[in-house]
Amino acid sequence: MKSAFLFPGQGSQKAGMLHDLPQHTSILKTLLEANEVLNQDVLLWDTEEALQSTVAVQVALLTAEVATARALMSEGATPDMVAGHSVGSFSAAVIAGVLDFKDALLLVKKRGELMESAYPHGYGMGVVLGLNERTLLPIIEEISTSTHPVFLANVNAPDQITIAGKLSAIGDVFELARRKGARKAQFLNVSVPSHCPLLQFVSEALGKALEDISFHEPRIPYAGNRTARALRKANAIREDLALSISNPVRWYDATSVLFELGARLYVEMSPGSVLTELARSAFTDARSLSVSEFGLQTASILIQREKARSV
Amino acid sequence: MFDTNQETVRSWTKRQDEKAIKISKVEHIAKNRVIPTDRIVEALELLISPGDRVVLEGNNQKQASFLSASLAEVDPGKVNQLHMIMSSISRPEHLDIFERGVAEKIDFSYAGPQSLRVAQMIEDGMLKMGEIHTYLELYGRLFVDLIPNVVLVAADKADINGNLYTGPNTEETPTIIEAAAFKDGIVIVQVNELVEELPRVDIPGTWVDFIVEAQKPYQLEALFTRDPKHITELQILMGMMAIRGIYEKHNVQSLNHGIGFNTAAIELLLPTYGEQLGLKGKICKNWVLNPHPTLIPAIESGWVESIHCFGGEVGMEQYVAARPDVFFTGRDGSLRSNRTLSQVAGQYATDMFIGSSLQIDQYGNSSTVTSGRLSGFGGAPNMGHDPRGRRHSTPAWLDLVTGDDQLARGRKLVVQMVETHQAGNVPVFVESLDAISVARTANLSTTPVMIYGDDVTHVVTEEGIAYLYKAQSLEERRHALAAIAGVTPIGMKHDTKRTEKLRQDGLVALPEDLGIRRTDAKRTLLAAKSVEDLVEWSGGLYNPPDKFRSCY
Repeated sequence: MKSAFLFPGQGSQKAGMLHDLPQHTSILKTLLEANEVLNQDVLLWDTEEALQSTVAVQVALLTAEVATARALMSEGATPDMVAGHSVGSFSAAVIAGVLDFKDALLLVKKRGELMESAYPHGYGMGVVLGLNERTLLPIIEEISTSTHPVFLANVNAPDQITIAGKLSAIGDVFELARRKGARKAQFLNVSVPSHCPLLQFVSEALGKALEDISFHEPRIPYAGNRTARALRKANAIREDLALSISNPVRWYDATSVLFELGARLYVEMSPGSVLTELARSAFTDARSLSVSEFGLQTASILIQREKARSV
Repeated sequence: MFDTNQETVRSWTKRQDEKAIKISKVEHIAKNRVIPTDRIVEALELLISPGDRVVLEGNNQKQASFLSASLAEVDPGKVNQLHMIMSSISRPEHLDIFERGVAEKIDFSYAGPQSLRVAQMIEDGMLKMGEIHTYLELYGRLFVDLIPNVVLVAADKADINGNLYTGPNTEETPTIIEAAAFKDGIVIVQVNELVEELPRVDIPGTWVDFIVEAQKPYQLEALFTRDPKHITELQILMGMMAIRGIYEKHNVQSLNHGIGFNTAAIELLLPTYGEQLGLKGKICKNWVLNPHPTLIPAIESGWVESIHCFGGEVGMEQYVAARPDVFFTGRDGSLRSNRTLSQVAGQYATDMFIGSSLQIDQYGNSSTVTSGRLSGFGGAPNMGHDPRGRRHSTPAWLDLVTGDDQLARGRKLVVQMVETHQAGNVPVFVESLDAISVARTANLSTTPVMIYGDDVTHVVTEEGIAYLYKAQSLEERRHALAAIAGVTPIGMKHDTKRTEKLRQDGLVALPEDLGIRRTDAKRTLLAAKSVEDLVEWSGGLYNPPDKFRSCY
């Protein structure tokens, strides 16, 4: 059967995440490559302090994820398909062979800078547990106005949905959601209202930047954030990378498509483990693991074993 | 008007002639109708024409996986615009065929394992939708307006004369082949092996045009195995209620059980709770269902007289072969299944269908469709309705007569058994079905309802049983459902006074009305509590697949 590599987005960062990566030639080479592009030691970017900035968070995640995936691949543990959550989709695109790592670094840095400049205060994101999209969407639509905006952001699981917008509007949605039976509703520790139309300008700027970059056809399918389709064309992936930040990430559907394409092993790249949990509860017939918990070697053996298992 | 200029004589053998031409095209490839394994793609390119109607055997268990993978490899420049007809869209390459431009239209019955991609591809215009069928409708149409040009099916073994052995997994292979073989379609069969002598002949060689030895055995899923370890006390409670309040009350002797832990619980309660009630030999004698491992204890303790199967079940081969008085078996000893005949039996010849659902609306309409997914129907609606053409009577059928009309007829019991909430606290009883919006998005001509409310006679939840067949009006039906719908949008509407009246009138029964104490519903009541117990009951004849062994 097949293996899917999953690349986490913001929220999965940890102080020291680059320092904690295992000793491996492919990892070392990736870090050096990053240094070259950044003109600075990338290991300075994963301190508690540095990670206060979304720019550092995104750059460090991309570096750690690409390094981990490359290490696995150099051991013969190659993925059959990929998906990345939000900024993780840049890592996924690199591993699918669509985008060069160096180009991805510059793009992600730019993405971070654009986002950071956007909404200095009063905006953010929240998560609602225990309501599905069909129930939550009408609540959001009821609350949202042009001066008091709130949007559906990411559908991580059928009953785990994030919303983005003005903090006060998010709070209002929470209140109604609780009344409709939400199990939990809480703010996330982010100041940028990602994955909603408020970040349209980031999409536009990114779209322009992406035009100047050379893309290659993907070696393996890439599950898109915005449409949850298995994308097999470079242009479609380019579009997804630009539009994702101003559109909901349909993570549950994206990973479901990978399951339907035959994925029975989901492997999440370091430093994340959230996507592993999501896959574990969504796909009881598949196995899900994170490299940060299992280590490179175990992950690599399990991926190769999965490849050998007949359909 | 008679056209006097019409000189040409009309041919009555076009299909025959076309078939002869196609077969002559592969003369250089196929010897004695055997296509070499490594030349199957080339052969398919010669035997299938653009626009052909092609049946690809994929049902919910057996898959013609070698042929589907091969079809996904043909050159779309040579083979394209195919109209695929499939019981079940199960494997990734079933849809790759469309993504690659080999096929364009689909008529199917079930798409559970690919339900998101099907919905996406319809939305993206990559897949032209025919209709979504029940199994019997789809098989029926193979002989009416979906007559195939080519069928691609799977068998276990073939001999040199093309005779086929399909063994326990015969399923719908004979039906599909019949539709092509007797209408000049081309029959191509993948087999696990070519042998000198078959254990028995399931399909005669004169119905078969080509045989190809597959690289590896066809895919087979153990779909009907439920590990007793996962049966909850809530499911046991519901099982006890169903046995007392439905099986015993109506004297149900012949029945179908769907897959699911609810009905697995009932199967495991018969030898214990059912026995205590003195019901052995009185109910649940004749079954239409796959060889469920959870039925082993009931069979072993003498409850079951007969079982006819849609298909086989991985690991049950030896057990079934050792119980020919119960199962339908061939001269070689192994099970003979037949999905078409079993569906007919389940539709017309049983007292009761009992199944589960993901959503039920206030009138009892139910659906397993969830938002953004197009999963289809399979066989449940064939069995989950009252076949109004039925004439023969049985005690259970007659017991559902209401009123004293001289022309009154009986009714099949169609039972829905659900917990009021699914995992994650999602209510099963809802104001309106997700299926309605799915129908709109996918532009379906009808809403994909699994079991229509007016066919449902009983609904069982952990709260109680609603005897919907007794309802005199839609309003009464709504109230009876609300009374057992728990803390769901529908259940919150019920009014306690009304429920009292419904209980008195026999439209609603709570556990205490059936003499059941909630605290009695214990796992100790299950005749088997694990897969190991089932193996023990079978005397070591049941051989569970690895994934159901506890060391997994």
